[in-house]
Amino acid sequence: MHRKFTDKIQSFTFVVPALVIFLFVIIIPFLRGINIAFTDWNGINNTYNYVGLKNLFSIFHDDEILQPFGNTIFFTVVTLFFVNFFGLTLAVMLNKTFKSSNLIKTFIFMPMVVSLVLTSYMWVYVFNDFGTRFFGISSPLSSASTVMIGLSIMSIWKETGLAMVIYYAALKTVPKELMEAAQIDGANSIQKFIKITIPFMAPAFAYCIPLWLGLGLRQFDYSFVATNGGPGTSSMTMAMYIYQYEFPFYKTGYAQMVALVFLIFILIVTYIVTAILKRKEIEI
Amino acid sequence: MKIIRALILWFITIIFLFPFYFAILYAFKTPVEIANNPISFPTRLNLKNFADAIQLPGYMKGLMNSTVTATIVVVAVVIVTSMASYKIVRIDNWFYNSLYYFFQFSILLPFQVIMYPLYNQLKIFHMLNKLPTLMIVQTGILIGFYSFFYSCFIKTVPLELEEASRIDGCTQYGTFFKVVFPLLKPVTVTTIILVALASWNDFIVPMLFMQKESVRTLPLIQFYLFGQYAQYVNIAFAAVILSMIPILVLYFIFQKYIVSGIIVGAIKG
Repeated sequence: MHRKFTDKIQSFTFVVPALVIFLFVIIIPFLRGINIAFTDWNGINNTYNYVGLKNLFSIFHDDEILQPFGNTIFFTVVTLFFVNFFGLTLAVMLNKTFKSSNLIKTFIFMPMVVSLVLTSYMWVYVFNDFGTRFFGISSPLSSASTVMIGLSIMSIWKETGLAMVIYYAALKTVPKELMEAAQIDGANSIQKFIKITIPFMAPAFAYCIPLWLGLGLRQFDYSFVATNGGPGTSSMTMAMYIYQYEFPFYKTGYAQMVALVFLIFILIVTYIVTAILKRKEIEI
Repeated sequence: MKIIRALILWFITIIFLFPFYFAILYAFKTPVEIANNPISFPTRLNLKNFADAIQLPGYMKGLMNSTVTATIVVVAVVIVTSMASYKIVRIDNWFYNSLYYFFQFSILLPFQVIMYPLYNQLKIFHMLNKLPTLMIVQTGILIGFYSFFYSCFIKTVPLELEEASRIDGCTQYGTFFKVVFPLLKPVTVTTIILVALASWNDFIVPMLFMQKESVRTLPLIQFYLFGQYAQYVNIAFAAVILSMIPILVLYFIFQKYIVSGIIVGAIKG
């Protein structure tokens, strides 16, 4: 009996460090954030009043939120599609091995290891000093109507390598015998791709699609570093919108409510997408 | 057909490498050369930019801060999450099962949701502008994903060895560190690299909590550099290239593990 009890205590000590740090950094701020969302706190004063659901209703009267919300959706859809499309295409092209395929993989993955700050600055100068000077294309970042496209290009450049590596690994799980059998049965390469390759890729899709969904919806750094939300507020995303209410504006109560609603939105979207992918995975 | 495919692939690769080419070129040129023709080669290797970059105020300090932070965060994440994940996978009761989902939840959490309450909390405890704070916060943020990562792998480790070592009278710590932890080496190597990358490149956490110049990390210094040295882009790029070297070296040495580790999480998870 005694032995069992000390055993349990010892087991528990294994999770204590992770639990303590996690509580301090994530859970306590999260719970306090929920509390703040129902107040008019400005983030500085010691006093605040509970205002019930007022902050929640304000969101629906806040016209300025539409643009960051639209931008976030645009960025998410564009990067989700192109990162996965390019990643998959490159993986398929590289799958038929030739001499330099490893080198190519290394190079295309390389942007993944540099910081977002550096990525942003490199592209600012590529757009301005190269695009504009040599091709007369004005930098997409300088105009309100194209700035989100510019930011999407940066993100696609940086992250395609990761998608490629994952899809490449998934392609390697397709049994060669199956492909050969289909070949003998007279299937063409498109039929083979749809009937054999895609089903074996299901786990990779089920990983990649929610990953870029989450990354896109939470996007902050590109907008913040490359354009600071500008020109004007044209490249503001939801994450940045929340940020500006916290820091320069000090409307902490309202910001926390927006953040909370946004979190619920992310959870619902991710849940739906994951559920659909799971069902497809089983169907296949 | 094969040649066309190779050509297309190399063309795409060159497009991917172009921004790097641009940054490296700028780092070697003088401002005059940049103004004259941005994409031409420099007339001579202008190493002065790099010398100037090292002497930028706070640059060496930033390099130190980033190195120390990344090292300690790596050690902390590896030890803390591997230990926790081990028990989470091995013990099947409500407490440990819910811990698994508890940690997972943070993977989806946008940082903005906890940003201000955390800032305020750190202010109350007088923890702002201190490097250990940065380490704790980064570790906390990374626990979610890497406990998932370790859990996926521990599930594949057979139980027999652990049982044998328990019968031999090892304590639970002994069993874990002498028997289990060495078996986790593949996932640990990947974690080391990915966490080092995440910590080294992290921008938003130091930006919020490490405002004082003496505790700034490299991404922050880069961020302010391009603001302050707009007319000396060459020096700014030299500084950035220098700070990119350690991470690229790490990448070229360990890329096999980075890739295989990501796959453990993606395909087998």
